[in-house]
Parts: sequence; C-alpha cells; structure tokens
Amino acid sequence: MQRIRIRYTKEGRTRYVSARDLTSVWERALRRADLPIAYSEGFTPHPKVSFPDALPVGVASTGEYAELTFAVPIDPGPGIAALSATLPTGMEILTYWEVPDGAPKLARMLPATLWELEYEVLDASSDRIAQDLAELAERALASHELTAQRERANGEVRTVDVRAALEDLRVSIVDTTPLLRAVTRNDGPTVRPTDLHTALSSLLSGRDDGRGLPEPRLHRRVAQGQIVATGLREALSGEVERLAPGRLAGAA
Amino acid sequence: MTPPTAIPDTAARIDLAQIRGTRGAVAPPSQWEALEPLLLQVNKPAQYVGGEHNQTLKDWGSADVRWLLNYPDTYEVGQPNQGIQILYEILNECPTTLAERSYVPWLDLEQLMREHDIALFSLEHHHPLWAFDVFAVTLPHELGHTNLLTAFDLGGIPLRSDERTADHPLVVVGGHAAFNPEPLAAFIDVAVAGDGEEFTLELDDVVRTWKHDREGGGFAEADARRELLRRVATQVSGAYVPAFYEPRYAADGRLLQTVPVESGVPHRVPKRTVQDLEQWQYPRKQIVPMTEVVHERFSVEIFRGCTRGCRFCQAGMITRPVRERKPETIQKLVREGIRSTGFEEVGLLSLSSADHADIGDIARDLADEYEGTATSLSLPSTRVDAFNVTLGNELARNGRRTGLTFAPEAGSERMRAVINKMVSEADMLRTAQMAFSGGWRHIKLYFMVGLPTETDEDVLAIAELGIKVYEIARTHGTKNRVTVSVGGFVPKPHTPFQWAPQDSPDEIHRKLSMIRHAIKEHSGLKLRTNDPEEGVIEGLLSRGDRRVADAVQRAWELGARMDGWHETDTLGAWRQAMDQTGVDLAWYSYRERLENEALPWDHLDSGLEKDWLWSDWQDALAEQELDDCRWTPCYDCGVCPGLDLVHDTGYQALPVLGSRPAPEVV
Repeated sequence: MQRIRIRYTKEGRTRYVSARDLTSVWERALRRADLPIAYSEGFTPHPKVSFPDALPVGVASTGEYAELTFAVPIDPGPGIAALSATLPTGMEILTYWEVPDGAPKLARMLPATLWELEYEVLDASSDRIAQDLAELAERALASHELTAQRERANGEVRTVDVRAALEDLRVSIVDTTPLLRAVTRNDGPTVRPTDLHTALSSLLSGRDDGRGLPEPRLHRRVAQGQIVATGLREALSGEVERLAPGRLAGAA
Repeated sequence: MTPPTAIPDTAARIDLAQIRGTRGAVAPPSQWEALEPLLLQVNKPAQYVGGEHNQTLKDWGSADVRWLLNYPDTYEVGQPNQGIQILYEILNECPTTLAERSYVPWLDLEQLMREHDIALFSLEHHHPLWAFDVFAVTLPHELGHTNLLTAFDLGGIPLRSDERTADHPLVVVGGHAAFNPEPLAAFIDVAVAGDGEEFTLELDDVVRTWKHDREGGGFAEADARRELLRRVATQVSGAYVPAFYEPRYAADGRLLQTVPVESGVPHRVPKRTVQDLEQWQYPRKQIVPMTEVVHERFSVEIFRGCTRGCRFCQAGMITRPVRERKPETIQKLVREGIRSTGFEEVGLLSLSSADHADIGDIARDLADEYEGTATSLSLPSTRVDAFNVTLGNELARNGRRTGLTFAPEAGSERMRAVINKMVSEADMLRTAQMAFSGGWRHIKLYFMVGLPTETDEDVLAIAELGIKVYEIARTHGTKNRVTVSVGGFVPKPHTPFQWAPQDSPDEIHRKLSMIRHAIKEHSGLKLRTNDPEEGVIEGLLSRGDRRVADAVQRAWELGARMDGWHETDTLGAWRQAMDQTGVDLAWYSYRERLENEALPWDHLDSGLEKDWLWSDWQDALAEQELDDCRWTPCYDCGVCPGLDLVHDTGYQALPVLGSRPAPEVV
C-alpha cells in the first residue's frame, strides 16, 4: 500500500483543536478530498493516519507530521494539494514524501524538535528582554540540571528535567520581536515549550532587581528532523531551519 | 457561583450608528484579542474559536442586515441543531444579509468574560452581540431559558424587552418552546411558532426596509423601535410581539384571556408552515465541527411533521401536517452533503423516520450507494415493529449491528391506549425476537412514568415488559443487553395532555424505585433514569404564564445556569426564586386544568383546534385510541384547512398500517 508522509501546519484557530479531535478533522478532510485512505480492520475501522506525537493544545506549529496510508495509490501532487486545500484555515500541508519500502519509521526520522518562543514587545524593551533571555539561555546551557514543574489537570505536579533533552538554545531578534529557539532531543524526557519558559523563569528567582520574564505571546513547534550545527535539518524537505533566524542578542 | 454583575456598557463608548448602519458600516471591535489569552484557562477551548469547515465569512460592511443566530446552550449541544444550520445558509445566501452563529459559554468562560469585559461573541468574527440587528434564538426546549438571559447580559443588551431601544438588536425566538413563549414574554421582542424558512426571510426584509427608512429619516427617532415592532407584528405573518398583548386575570389568579392591545395585530397569531419542503433543500453545506459535539453526522430531514397522534408528544402535535421529501431529493442531499462535509455518518431525521412512505426504497438505495465505503447510515428509530428491524438491517449493512432503540413509552396495554401509542406487547416481543435473532446485541427501550391516569400496576408493567424483552435477548446470547430508560412525563402546551397534572418529583422517585426494585434480580437488564428534579423547571416553564418571568429572572440572578446539565444543580435557586416572586409551582404544574380555563398559549394558533384537543383528552381518559390520519380518514384536528396539501398524506395510496407490522421491504 502507498504511504505518504507529510509535514503540515497547525496555526491560528486550529491551535485549540485537541490531539483527540484532530483525528476526525483529518478523516473528514480526506473524505472531502475524495482520497482513498486505507482503513484499519476490526470492529470499528479507523482511517490509517498516524501521528508521531501530540502537540499540546494552544501551541502553534509548522512542524507537524503524519503518515497517510492509501488503499489505492494516488497521484501525490494533485492529491496532496487537494487535501491541503480542504483543511480548515490554519492547517496546510507544506511538504510530502512518498515512503519507499524499507524506509525507517517516521518517528526515527524525527530525532529532534526545533521550538520557538515568541515574546511580546509592548514598548522599546525588546533589546532588554532579548538580553535577559540570552543571559538565561547561557546559564541554562551551562547547567547540568534545569527543571520545570508542570501542573496536571488533576492537580498533580510533575517535574521535568529540561536540560536532559536540551541540545541548544539561542535568542535572536526578528524585526523587533525577541525569539527564543531551542532544539530538544525527542528521545529524552518529553519537553513542552511551556516547560522551557518555566525553566528559564526559574533561573530568575532570587534576582535582586525583581525583573521577571514576560509570558511568551506564542509557542511554536517550528520543525522536526536531524540536529545540525546551525539548527535543525527538516526531515522531509532536507532544508535547514536556523536556530537564530534574526539578529543575535548578546548577553549583557 | 457569584451573582452576575452587569458588564460595563462597551457599546456606549463607540459610535453605534456607524457600526449598526446599512452597507458600508464599520465593523465592531472583535472580542478575539481579549478572548484568546483566556482560552487555555477554560475547558474545551476549541468550542469558542470557530473556523470550522463550511462556515460563511462575510464582511460586516457588505450587509444591510446582520443576524446573530444562537442556540442557548453550549456549542457541544447546540452545534448540530438543524434549525440554526438551515437559517444560517438561507440568510447568508442573501447578498445583503449576514448571519453568524453563537452559543452560550460554559460557566468557567462566563466568569472570565465578566472579569475581562468580553461580550458574547459570534464564532465567525467574534463580533459582539450588541452590534447585530437581529438576535435570533432557537428554543428547542425550556431548559435554555436562563442561558438566554446569560446571553443578553454578556451580550451587552438589557434583559427586559421594554428596556431596549432601536439601538439594540431585535430579539426573536423560535423552536418548539416558542409555542408557549409567555414565561419569556418580558425578555423577548418577537416569537414565531412553526417553520422558520419563509418567516426569516420576510422578517429580514422588514428589518432592511426599516433600517433604510430610519437612515432616511422616515419616522421620528423616538418612535424607531415601536415602528419596528409594529411593522414586524403587522407585516410578517406568524410574528408574535408580546408587548402588543396583555393577559387578563380573574381575582383568584386564573387567566381569563390574553388580548391584543395594539391595533392591527392578529387576535390569534398563526404558526408558520412551509408547505413544500422540496423548495427548501437545506442544509447543503453543513458546518463540520473541529471538536466533539453531541451528534457528528450529516443530517437530512426526510420529512417534517408527524400524525401518529401520541398524546404526550408536543413535537408530533405542533409540526403537523406531514410533509415528505422525495426520495431522489433525499439521495441528492445525502450525496452532496457527504461530499461537502466529509462526515462519516448520515442521519435520516424526522419525528418517526420509518414512517416515510418510501423509506424502504430510500434505505435500500442509500445502503447500495454506500455499501463497502466507510459511510454509515443511521435512522433515529423509535417505532416498535418488525419493519424497523428490517430497516435497521439495511442501514447497518456497512457496519455493526450494535444497538436498536424503541420507544413503547408505557408498560401496560391500558396505559399505551391512554397515550395513543398504538403498540401491543406482542409487537414489542416479536420485534425483540427478530432483532436479537438477526444479530443485534443491544436493545434500548424508552418509557415514561407520571403519565395521566397511571396506576402502580402500569408502572410495574414497565419492569415486566423490560424483563420479557431481556429474556428474549438472553436466549440469543448471554452477552446481549437490554436497557430500560425511564423519564418523568412533563405535560406540554398544544397537546391533549396540556390539561393534565404533572407528577411531583417525589412521586416520580417512588415510581422509579418500584421499577428498580422489580428488575434488580436481572443483572443484564439495565435501568437508566433521568433526575426527577429536572422535570420541575421544565414543567413550570412549559405551561407557565407571564407571571413566571420574574421567577426566571430571579433564578438566573441567583445563579441558575445550564439547567439541563447534570453538572449544575439549579433547582435550589429555582425554588428560592419561586418563593421570592410568589410563583406557586403546585398551581402551575400539579393541578388538573379545567375545560373552560384560558391557557397562556390560547392566543397562539398551532393549527390544532382546542375543542379537538379537549375531545382527544377525553378519549385518552376513556382509553380510546385514535388512528394515524396519514393512513386513515381525517378526524378534523384543524391543521390542514387553508393549506395546499397535494402530497401531504399517503391516505388512499397506501395500506392502513395501524399497529400491525408493515409489509417487509425487499
């Protein structure tokens, strides 16, 4: 059976669609595009669309992946274009790759993730925020352990060691927006972008001037793929997403 | 919950005339910027974002008239509503009209919206309610009444109709609970009973002309709102403007009459009836939710109305006569609907879908078309006969034979004669036999307790029938299940039981325990019951009059929200509200009403003659059954005269079915 791997976006309003609900969003889009997706056997057949992991609700992404299995081979060019066109606004297929026999599993093609935290700039403070962030980033990379606490819906508190998964971290400024980008390894503990922010904020506690870190305006998963020196080589297109896409912010 | 606080009057700070003008108007501020940062703090945030496939986005300035449609409950419950979907498409097809959708936020977001000064918003552009011309609300039942007040309050408009001006949206309600809008009379501007398609377009025209005239200085600004209400009441058939009517009460509190107090408005306001459904082929582009809702399927209404004559059933009484869609139209709507939505399930909707004259052909043709695909077909089925099992088999060709649902409604033959549910025990057992031997594994049976004239023997008969069906189930497999679902009966306006006393929650509790006790030895027979307390609010609002409005508002002020949800316990607030406003629940709900008594909905004409309803009530008390007039001669209920009914009845062409199983379809 023909398998096609895709990289897609989940931006705008679709950020609030939960991983559970996303399955039917895909199933219905595939049916609207009239593509012969394969169905699983069994009592309740499900369309063969598999996702390597779940993106937390609210996080934006240009780095979502899925593998689609078709019962009848499709012409991928027009087929994937039709599918992309019928997805809800905010979701778009960026790249596809027809999977040859013997290819590694999708998850193995995605050993690392590039995250981005976009900070709000209310006034001319972007340089200052960027400098604070850059300083924290240096300290984070120099540390051996960097933990973030995450409260679950049931009130249980979970502690994640962000440092164990963290490969690199860089702060740059695009226009006037400070961007913090981080590469994390997917084989380590599951780190959410919100954990990165929490961990960095925790380094600030005990500072004399009481200056805090503003909340990011947006968390985004930029891409997934192989770690390279300048950032991340995206799994399906082979293009490199840079860790520092803008003007580098130096530590104070 | 903390009592609601008035939201600051955002509208006052903005030039309303610029926003509420005809074409070229300036869009109101979007609530999105303020809402978005709160979304991760609330449950199920996807319900508040819109952006679904098939939504219609129109520029604010491109329209003369702007409607905000609303279902007064959460998105999860309201999104699948057909009425809203149909009107949304019809209105948006008008080049100079815009319609957006809204629902009521769950308690967590309501609280945050108050703290952050966010108005009730549309899903399309997150425009605030106060900016629209018409706020059109469907009331499928009575348990959304307090939510309606939440919508007004969050939406920045006064609760009471007489406090609103021409700069506020016109509040229009429809849906089944609008057949007695009196408990809401103080809050609404217009109510319409019946089908909304034609009414909505006529109202749209009147509002458009009024807006143009207002902009042209066609009447004094001080008269603008009254002018609009007058035009609606006198130019749009079916429009009931409560402000133009007054109830007259006797010294002892009985209602004497509700009379018009404005010249030119009808004494009795007729319901609207769309005579030819073929002319209204909607929905075509049903909105596809991105988050879980109660029914996720493409729905096609295969006919409207029902003439089975079940005496407890308000829907069956008020939606007469039967108007069928042609099989080829149904097939076309299904085909196009699946293509435009991608839904994996199709529902063939109506009040009794197995009654469509061509249902056998429809089911077979659809099953043929979708055999081997991942599309499943469903028929909300309640009719108890073998034919329904055959239909179920046909529709389940693609999938599993899991469950079938039947509604005998009452346990004893005597009780079923009273309610005119013409099903015999033999029918039920034969149907169960056929279903389980055909591979179905679960049967759900719906019943009611609290029906008029009910004795303990009738109540126990529910348990006995459930046990008999369960015994049949077990002979075909030890894992087969039977669920007996029992609810408390609530008498409804415009039905033969509108005069009947409602059982108190204590009495319903007692009856449910009798059933529970009687079936407890049969472990595979499950009993599901509704909370008897829920019927208290529903009963009061179903048959209440205008004096109940104060209790509605008080209950809401005391925190009553989402009255239909198990998650909220609002009865305490309601009881307190009734105490404080002098509303006597027993008088409204627990007494039998008299023949010569005026009813709060007498001036709203559902088509049914009150005399006929009374004689049907007397027949009920005498345990006399009445046949379905689709297959037997007319008994003059009053609905049909005046309508053009060429193809509305199968009488003459079709065999009399009565309670006997229909011929099997090949």
